[in-house]
Amino acid sequence: MTKKEFWRWPEYRHTVEGIDPKNGKVISGGVDIGSVSSKTVIMVDGEVFAQSVMRTGSSSPDSAERTMNWALEDTGLTLKDVQYVVGTGYGRVNIPFAQKAITEIACHGRGANFMWGPTVRTVLDMGGQDCKAIRVDEKGKVQNFLMNDKCAAGTGRGMEVFADLLSVPIQEVGDRSFAVKEEPQSVSSTCVVFAKSEAVGLLRSGWSKDEVLAAYCQAMAHRVVDLLNRVGVEKEFVITGGIAKNIGIVKRVEKELRIRALKPDQWRDDPRFDPMLAGAAGAALFAKVLYERSKG
Amino acid sequence: MFDKFKEWYENRHDYAQAWKKQTGGKVLGYFCTYVPEELLIAADILPLRILGSHEAQDVTEPHIFGMFCPFCRDCLAQGLKGRFDYLNGIMISQSCLHIRQTYNSWVKHIPQEFSYYMYMPHGVQTPHAYPYLRGELEVFKKALEKWIGRSISDKDIDRGIEVMNKNRQLMKQVYEFRKQDNPPLTGLEAMYMVVSSQMVEKEEHNQALEAVLKELPNRKLDRNTGTRLMIIGSEDDDTEFVEMVESLDSTLVVDEHCTGTRYFWNEVEPQKDRLAAIAARYIDRPPCPSKDWPERKRFPHILQLAKDYNVEGALVIQQKFCDPHELDMPALRQMLEENGIPTYFLEFDVTVPIGQFKTRVEAFLETFALPDLF
Repeated sequence: MTKKEFWRWPEYRHTVEGIDPKNGKVISGGVDIGSVSSKTVIMVDGEVFAQSVMRTGSSSPDSAERTMNWALEDTGLTLKDVQYVVGTGYGRVNIPFAQKAITEIACHGRGANFMWGPTVRTVLDMGGQDCKAIRVDEKGKVQNFLMNDKCAAGTGRGMEVFADLLSVPIQEVGDRSFAVKEEPQSVSSTCVVFAKSEAVGLLRSGWSKDEVLAAYCQAMAHRVVDLLNRVGVEKEFVITGGIAKNIGIVKRVEKELRIRALKPDQWRDDPRFDPMLAGAAGAALFAKVLYERSKG
Repeated sequence: MFDKFKEWYENRHDYAQAWKKQTGGKVLGYFCTYVPEELLIAADILPLRILGSHEAQDVTEPHIFGMFCPFCRDCLAQGLKGRFDYLNGIMISQSCLHIRQTYNSWVKHIPQEFSYYMYMPHGVQTPHAYPYLRGELEVFKKALEKWIGRSISDKDIDRGIEVMNKNRQLMKQVYEFRKQDNPPLTGLEAMYMVVSSQMVEKEEHNQALEAVLKELPNRKLDRNTGTRLMIIGSEDDDTEFVEMVESLDSTLVVDEHCTGTRYFWNEVEPQKDRLAAIAARYIDRPPCPSKDWPERKRFPHILQLAKDYNVEGALVIQQKFCDPHELDMPALRQMLEENGIPTYFLEFDVTVPIGQFKTRVEAFLETFALPDLF
């Protein structure tokens, strides 16, 4: 019997209705090859037209090709129709069909500005293997940023490990972390390995899975708030990256910061605002400008 | 044309051992650039700065505190692994606590013919520092004379001063070229140049510098200068990092490191009392932050460098746990930013996560290069 993979988040593709790419002037693409997920956003004249999100494989070029092809599926477009592609994410330099690579820090800043508007000043990007606190101006241009890079604490991969350990599907982690009578003490370590050992100990001593999830979400939130405070938080504040879809983290970060994140739920009704895609959206917007500039 | 410096840096042990064989002289390993090399050269000794190797190691754990910097750990590892077994002696000039631990542990675990702890004052801003250090140099000179079995004459000291000053002048002349809009040398090449000067015989280094200076006016590099960066902070001979930064459409045009300008920026101004002249040079040099108090005299010097070299942004780095630098950094970054020079901070270890650092440096550079995409 194969083990159920509780960490596995849903892969999907989506085409926005009502846009005919044939009428568009510029078709641009942004491909974000993260350590855990690969994302593509195809834009027509700077508006989201198609998108895909999937697991990153062992090869960045393959992952890039697969996510791009999936985004284009059933749209009537092929890669040749995409006039300019910008690559981002840790695999950005290994995207064969991208004309330019731009860091995910710049792309998330731009993407957050696109998704939440020009009032955004602070972006917390919680990615698969690192976290970035980014300060941006009214255009989404990076002013300052900090990045954790020494451990998996506060990262999507850490959350996946916990979902697997507790056999809780990853999309349910957030809600279940609130299904506790009172907020338990946070786990003392955010190091994934140590936190895992600590969680096993807590389960043995009678804690429920929900309580352990609450304790881990709290530790993770505390960790990223430290990062945010170092860069300085200014309103409006948004969270991007896969963990932005985990309400258990979002609410705890908001509570500790005493600032509400801007519309953290809009992606539920409209996939164009999937916070996982902020980097790819930013890349597609940069691609549009780069294409226009190349044509004079 | 900078290959010679790279070769010396990469083969420092081969060089020192060959030198020893050829001259029959003594090689002395030193920690910290407050060591008065003038007197060592006067005694016909080859001064060789002990630096790390940027490799993971597991030999220093019981000998250095966990919260001491990776650089001092990496240096000690070289000794414990026997890579400096050919040394005749070692010395330190009193500097930060961490590197002193390396020296003390080295003396304890690796037998030496000669070891010397020179009491370089920390309080360099008091007028008493000059006579104090002069006195310490006198004591050190006597210890050296006893070790080598001969006296060190004024003529010997003059030779030491002359060759050191010449080395400083020549490196400064090379640095002048870095002020150009398109510098004919990279930051990596400059790093190899300065660090190798801490490893090889100064006369030989001077000859190589003179050869470089002849060719530099006609040299053109086949690369974009990109964003002009300054790099500031603790000891740094992380060539892999510098190479990565300069692969991202940027050039390090000047530095403020003890493996760079802090090492060679000022000269000994000759006076009749040679030891007083040497003492004044070390008291007045651009200070290590461990000695830069109560006034931060290093800051105006850094700002002047940034202006002279037309710096657009600064990478501020520190060896992890390097308290003297860490204490200076908030004020230093504020000072630079108030003067229109954005900064980015990075913490170094024995090895650095080059992929992660690349993203961070690239994102910092994008804040200069991306404005027209918005």
